[in-house]
Amino acid sequence: MRLKKLAILTLSLSSLYATSAFSQEESATARQIIDKFQTELIHVMKDGKKLGYAGRYEKLEPAVVNSHDLPKIARIVVGKEGEKLTEEQQKKLAEVFTRISVASYAHNFKDFSGEEFVIDSEEETKNGGVVIHSHLNIPDDKPVKFDYMLKEKGASWRIINIIANGVSDLALKRSEYTAILQRDGFDALISQINEKIDNYAKQ
Amino acid sequence: MEKYAHIKIIGLACGAMLSVNAIAKEKVADPYESFNRKMYEFNESVDHYVAAPIANSYKAVTPNFLQTGVFNFFNNLKNFNVVINDVLQAKFSQSASDMGRLTMNSTAGLGGFIDVAKHVGLEQNDEDFDQTLAVWGVPKGSYLVMPLIGPMTMRSCPASAFDAATNPASYASIPANYISAPVQFMGALNARANAEGALKFINEAAMDKYVFTRESFLQWRKNLETDGKVNMDDDLMSESIDDASLTQNWRDYGKQFESTAQSFSSVARQFDQTAKTYEQASHKIDQARTSHTK
Repeated sequence: MRLKKLAILTLSLSSLYATSAFSQEESATARQIIDKFQTELIHVMKDGKKLGYAGRYEKLEPAVVNSHDLPKIARIVVGKEGEKLTEEQQKKLAEVFTRISVASYAHNFKDFSGEEFVIDSEEETKNGGVVIHSHLNIPDDKPVKFDYMLKEKGASWRIINIIANGVSDLALKRSEYTAILQRDGFDALISQINEKIDNYAKQ
Repeated sequence: MEKYAHIKIIGLACGAMLSVNAIAKEKVADPYESFNRKMYEFNESVDHYVAAPIANSYKAVTPNFLQTGVFNFFNNLKNFNVVINDVLQAKFSQSASDMGRLTMNSTAGLGGFIDVAKHVGLEQNDEDFDQTLAVWGVPKGSYLVMPLIGPMTMRSCPASAFDAATNPASYASIPANYISAPVQFMGALNARANAEGALKFINEAAMDKYVFTRESFLQWRKNLETDGKVNMDDDLMSESIDDASLTQNWRDYGKQFESTAQSFSSVARQFDQTAKTYEQASHKIDQARTSHTK
């Protein structure tokens, strides 16, 4: 009887631990999201040459998708032009935007020469977001400042914008995407994004 | 060429453009886009056919230590201007540090060729008269692309004339005229050689290089004005695009991602194989062509 109680207690504790571990994964803080993402980036950089572009893409894909709110970013970067898109076009844009986001990481973080990410501080914004201030130390070079802007999504946080040395990725993409949409149309935008993805894969 | 002609040209051009800007609408982000795009294309051509080949040759034949020395030399001369602008912006503590940097590098650093100040913890600050005007409350005005000079704003246009006037490199003709041209040329060459990384990144990442350059430039200048302070209430972040306002299609894609992720990975893996196939095919064509010629 005593053994049965012990077994039940052990089972309950195990399931409690499992639930707790799951909720920890689900309810990560903004800082934890950035820390995990940067750690994965450094891992991929260390194995960058061995992995090749395809290997880096494969490793970074879940890391990027689980730390960025890509559907929301894709919606923001097309601005008001997004309202004019059909359902099919919206799906297509969300798809290629995810691919170019992962591809640009796989292309730009390809090798390692002693780089190190350091989280400096954390600030809350007036509109309920969080900014994680960090920098990348590069041996024999100036550090690059990375400020991550995150918004709450469910019980966790997701990156909406990255500001590298003062240049906002979101603002940059929005200017480009809306300019191309207005001037050349949706198909041209998709075609240019696909071209960039192909170039990233070749280089 | 007349002494300081380049400063006068910038000043005159800026004066003319400023008077035009007085009647331009502030709300228009890039009212001179048509002109700017033409200038951007012109500058790209000049860079492609003249500046890039010279800069690449310079990098190829000059040892790294000498390139670093040349960079340090011109950077040190720029620090005269940095100290003046520190004072004009009432950054007195920083001006003392920058003065120390300038003195140390000009003496112990053999005229600026060696950046000894960096090793004693005196970091390089980046100040110029455009930032001073921003601190004084002068609006930046419209974006401009000047022939041969590149991106500017209405405010940075006259400010760069002031910066040139306070940079000792501009007065290299005083001791002897024959050293003026080489010093100016080396300054331009050094600047182009050091811009190689940024230009490569623009070529790789930009879909519309003009827009990409404009936005990067304006944001970079804003970052310098605010001394790196992040705008915590970013307009784009403040947009009311919450989960509810995202249409089902945008959100659906996010949910479906895991099931499609696998196929993207396999596509990515195939890139390497496809590239190899093309390479092999190209090699075979070359071989066939060679045997046909024989």
